[in-house]
Amino acid sequence: MVSVAARRPRVTGRRYRSVTLGALGLIGFGLVLEVAPRIGVVPIDFAPPTSQILVTLVEQLDQGSFWTALLRTLTTWASGLAIAVVAGAVIGVLLGSLPILRAATATTIEFLRPIPSVALIPLVIVLYGTTPRSTITLVVYAAFWQMLIQVMHGVADVDPVALDTARSFRLGPWAKVRYVVWPSALPYVMTGLRLAAAVALILTITGELVIGSPGLGKEIDTAQQSNEVRTVYALILVTGVLGVLINLVIRRGERALLSWHPANRAEKGAA
Amino acid sequence: MRRPLIALFTAVALLATAACGDSSDDNSAAPAASGKPDAVNAGVIAILDVAPIYLGKEKGFFSKRGIDLTLTTAQGGAAIVPAVLSGQYQFGFSNAVSLLLAKSQNAPLKVVCNGNNSTGVADDFAGLFVKPDSPIQSPKDLVGKTVAANTLKNIVDTSVRASVKKDGGDPSQVKFTELPFPEQVGALQAGRVDAIFVVEPFQQAAIAAGMRKIASSYVDAAPNLTVALYFTSAKLAGENPDLVKRFTEAMQESLAYADSHGDEVRDIIGTYTKIDPATRAKMTLPKWPADINRESVDALATAAVTDGLLTQKPDVAGLLP
Repeated sequence: MVSVAARRPRVTGRRYRSVTLGALGLIGFGLVLEVAPRIGVVPIDFAPPTSQILVTLVEQLDQGSFWTALLRTLTTWASGLAIAVVAGAVIGVLLGSLPILRAATATTIEFLRPIPSVALIPLVIVLYGTTPRSTITLVVYAAFWQMLIQVMHGVADVDPVALDTARSFRLGPWAKVRYVVWPSALPYVMTGLRLAAAVALILTITGELVIGSPGLGKEIDTAQQSNEVRTVYALILVTGVLGVLINLVIRRGERALLSWHPANRAEKGAA
Repeated sequence: MRRPLIALFTAVALLATAACGDSSDDNSAAPAASGKPDAVNAGVIAILDVAPIYLGKEKGFFSKRGIDLTLTTAQGGAAIVPAVLSGQYQFGFSNAVSLLLAKSQNAPLKVVCNGNNSTGVADDFAGLFVKPDSPIQSPKDLVGKTVAANTLKNIVDTSVRASVKKDGGDPSQVKFTELPFPEQVGALQAGRVDAIFVVEPFQQAAIAAGMRKIASSYVDAAPNLTVALYFTSAKLAGENPDLVKRFTEAMQESLAYADSHGDEVRDIIGTYTKIDPATRAKMTLPKWPADINRESVDALATAAVTDGLLTQKPDVAGLLP
């Protein structure tokens, strides 16, 4: 106990330092992008300096169309992710707990999984046109595998002793999943969710950009077709911030949900 | 091995298209029996050419004819034509050459109304540009040179070749390379291409960058060229001629209104594009006559055969209303 208490300030100091260093790195990156176009390393017409991008970004925040687009992007992302996560979790638990089923589907999964979602764009355009449904289809396809694979591994990784114990307690299949398999697979599930969320955002923006379904991606395309280079960069910046925020939120949720897990307990004790 | 595969994919895609068409036609193209307006989806491109349809919608030219119009922007005719054929959109906007190419492949399309025309004078909404210090002085110097076109084997090819021919050069000796409009000025400045063909607002960008205009190719292609048109599927034209008639009337009123209200056009362009107000004020607008310039469409069809885009002249009369 004493040693943990003594370590506390040092760890806090380390965290501060990493935040400060991270911020400094970001500012440095911004400065490079500010100076490079101004001294002519890159053409200023096509690579505007950071300050101009930020001014344009603030102007965007003032416009209703920006918030509508942001909302649509988030809706598409969330719907696609929700479908993928639920489907991935259910099918993952099924396949993970039934070795026969897993053996029968393994080849098919390994065949389908590497197909890049964007390769399906021509197909979804024919099926659903330029609607959000097209983009959601891409998002589900890409995010589903991230979830499925993690859940399957998680289920396969359940402690056999725990399973035997469940059997001695005569737990039914549902109770076994609920009290033994699910909690033990949860860390994998959360990893799958985090990966799926990031992939889902990439595919949402790609779909909007390429298919033209409403959202930030389409706004980027419209800005490009209008020769509004600064708006293009400002919107790209927004998608980046969105990615960071989504990751932060999910990590928070992960920490809260898995506070009992040894990996987190150790970290908590140290912090 | 590849060809049968492609054929298979095409067949599947067409079947899927047909299936979608059947299901969505039921709810969207039903006649307004109960006095409710017809819900109509039109696929357009977010460029200044389609300003009249946005303006006409705002002015109520469609609603007063019982049309509840929804405008959806797509990235180009390539996405709009299949969507109109499948019934996702009832009407679409596409350039004349794309429609001629589709017609030559027996796509069941029917033009319903004029889209937009060149200004007919040197100050057009599109232009052929070279670098300020380029040795190319006029279009005939493009022989053996490379021109950037946003889409290959389409209206840009035809028009630029028309400029070369008119200037006394051999149009078959001009090379084209595909580049999206937003990249063309940069590519020209960097010397990756010898000339570019851009429309507004990129024409303003080219002018601002000091590029030199050597021709207005749409003007050279035919006098008062009809550049683009609104169209529907032959299916809808056959099943619901009343809707098509009302759409055409509303569209013609919109075109006439837009042609005589330039300031309102420049304002409405700001609602569906992100072109900044300063550029919008400077841009050269196309012309929006209510009637199709049939001779010019015929000239494009002839040129498409001469330039090798098509082997046989498409049925222009069958395409136009």
